[in-house]
Amino acid sequence: LYLHGGVEKAVERGLLWLLNAWPAEGTVWRRWQQVLFPSPANRQNNALRGWSWTPGTASWVEPTAHALLFLRSLPTDMLPPLAAKRRQLAERMLYDRMCPGGGWNSGNPLVYGVAGVPRIGPTVWALMALRDHTDRAEVQMSLRWLEGAYSGIQGAASLALAHRCLGAYWRPAPPLAPALGELYFRNRFFENVLTAAWVVLALAEDGSASAQTADRVATE
Amino acid sequence: MSFAQSSLMPPFTRPLSRVAIVRSGGYDRDLGTLLFEAAQKFDLPVKGKKVLIKPNFVEPDPEGVVNTHPAVVAAVRETFLRLGADSVRVAEGPGHERDMEAIVETIRLRDFLGPLPNLFVDLNLDDVRPVNLRTRASKLKQLYLPRTVLEADFIVSVPKLKTHHWSGVTLSLKNMFGIVPGSCYGWPKNVLHWAGITPSILDINSTVRPDFAIVDGIIGMEGNGPIQGSPKPTGVLVLGDDPVAVDATCARVMGLAPERIDHLAKAGALLGHLRPDKILQLGESVASVRAPFAVLPAFRKLVAAQA
Repeated sequence: LYLHGGVEKAVERGLLWLLNAWPAEGTVWRRWQQVLFPSPANRQNNALRGWSWTPGTASWVEPTAHALLFLRSLPTDMLPPLAAKRRQLAERMLYDRMCPGGGWNSGNPLVYGVAGVPRIGPTVWALMALRDHTDRAEVQMSLRWLEGAYSGIQGAASLALAHRCLGAYWRPAPPLAPALGELYFRNRFFENVLTAAWVVLALAEDGSASAQTADRVATE
Repeated sequence: MSFAQSSLMPPFTRPLSRVAIVRSGGYDRDLGTLLFEAAQKFDLPVKGKKVLIKPNFVEPDPEGVVNTHPAVVAAVRETFLRLGADSVRVAEGPGHERDMEAIVETIRLRDFLGPLPNLFVDLNLDDVRPVNLRTRASKLKQLYLPRTVLEADFIVSVPKLKTHHWSGVTLSLKNMFGIVPGSCYGWPKNVLHWAGITPSILDINSTVRPDFAIVDGIIGMEGNGPIQGSPKPTGVLVLGDDPVAVDATCARVMGLAPERIDHLAKAGALLGHLRPDKILQLGESVASVRAPFAVLPAFRKLVAAQA
C-alpha cells in the first residue's frame, strides 16, 4: 500500500496498531507468575515479546518475523520511536526461541528439557527477519541447519522459501525448477495460492527457471 | 453434518456406547479387512453419505510414530467405501507445520491413497464460515471452521494413541483441534491454548462431534508426546461410536485413569460415556491388551492403580 502512494495516513494508522499490539505473555502479572510458578514444560524469557498470531495470545516466531520484515520495509523517517524498541525486543525474542542446534520451529525450543526440532518455514522467516545480523553465530548456525535440511525438503512451499532464503544470504542452492516441477506433478501444490505465490517469486529469482516456467505456474 | 443433536446429552439419557478393540500385529497386515469386519458390527448410517476422515498429521516424520499411519488412513477409507459411503475424503489442518505437502509426502500418504489433489483437503487453508459454539466451556463463543468439515455428513476422527505434554493424552477428542484453521488462528492455533485446552476441546467437540472414532494404536507414543515421545508398540486399533468412550477405553489400555484426565472427565458429563459399565465392549478386553505407557512426571497422577 505504501509503495502505491496516496494512502500514507492509512499505513501510519496500521503501523501504530502493529506497534501497540503487544502479545499477552509479557504482562507484569504473567511475568510474576513465571517467577513464582516456573513451568517445567518450557523455558523462555517472557519479557522478550514479539508479535502474536491473533490479539490476546503469545509471541510466536513467524508473526514476529513477518512484523520485523514489514518494519524494515518502511522508510526510517516514517517509524515512530516505539518501533526501535519493538524491533530490538522482537529480535532478542527470536534468538531466545532458537532451537539449541540452530533453526526455529513455531517457538518452542525446549519442551520438558528436550530440544525442539527446527522446521523449514519458521527458520526461513526468522533468518529473513535477521538478515542484518549476518555475523551473529546463531544466524550462521541456523543457515548451516537450513543447508543441511535442504535436500530432504518434500514440499513446494518449503523448497521455494528455503531457496529464497539461501539466495538472500548468498549461499548456493541446487537449481529450483527441476525439483519444483517434480513436486507440481505429484500434487499440483494442493492448489494452494500461497504456495504458488512463493514458488513464482522463487522461480523468478532463480537462474535455472525460464520466465515462461514462472508464468505458467502463475497462470495455473 | 455433525451438529448431531446427540452431541450434548447427560449420561443417564444416553444409550450404551459401543467400543471395539481389535489386535493387529503391524501396518503391513490387511487392515482394510480387519477394520471393515469390526465396523460392520456398528450398523453405521453412512450409505450414500459424504464421509470425512480426520487423521492426526502433525509434522513430517518418516519414522511413522508422530502421525496416524497412512496404512490406517487408507484402511479407514476402504472401510467406509465398502460400507456404502458416497465419498470419503481425508482432511487435516496441522497445528505447527504450515507445509501440508511436506507432511503427506514424508509419510508417503500418496503410496497408500493414490493421487491426493481431489481426495485430501488442507483444513488450514479451506474456505471457512463462522460457527457459534454449542457450549460455553471456554470464552470463545464462536470459531471460523472449514467448509469441508461443516458440509460432511459423517466425521471419523482417526488419531494416534499418544501421550500429550499438555493434555495428558491426545486421542479422538483432542484430535479435533486440527479442524480449526491456521489461516484464521495461526500456527500454532494459540487462541485455543489461551482459551484453555480442556474448555476448547469441549467446545469444539460439542459443536462438531465426531460420529465415529478409530484410534491407531498399532504403534503409539509414550513419554513426552505428542511429538518427542518414544514409540510404544501396542498392537491395537480401537474404534467406536462415541469418541469419549473410545478415548476412555484407550486411556485404560495405556494404563491411565480416564476420570483423572481433565478433558475426558469433563467430556463424560455431556459428550459421551466414560464409565466402563456404560460402554459395551466388543472384540478384545481392555485387560488383554493393556500396555502401560510411560508418562512425564507431571502426569504421574493420571496413572491408574494396577488391576
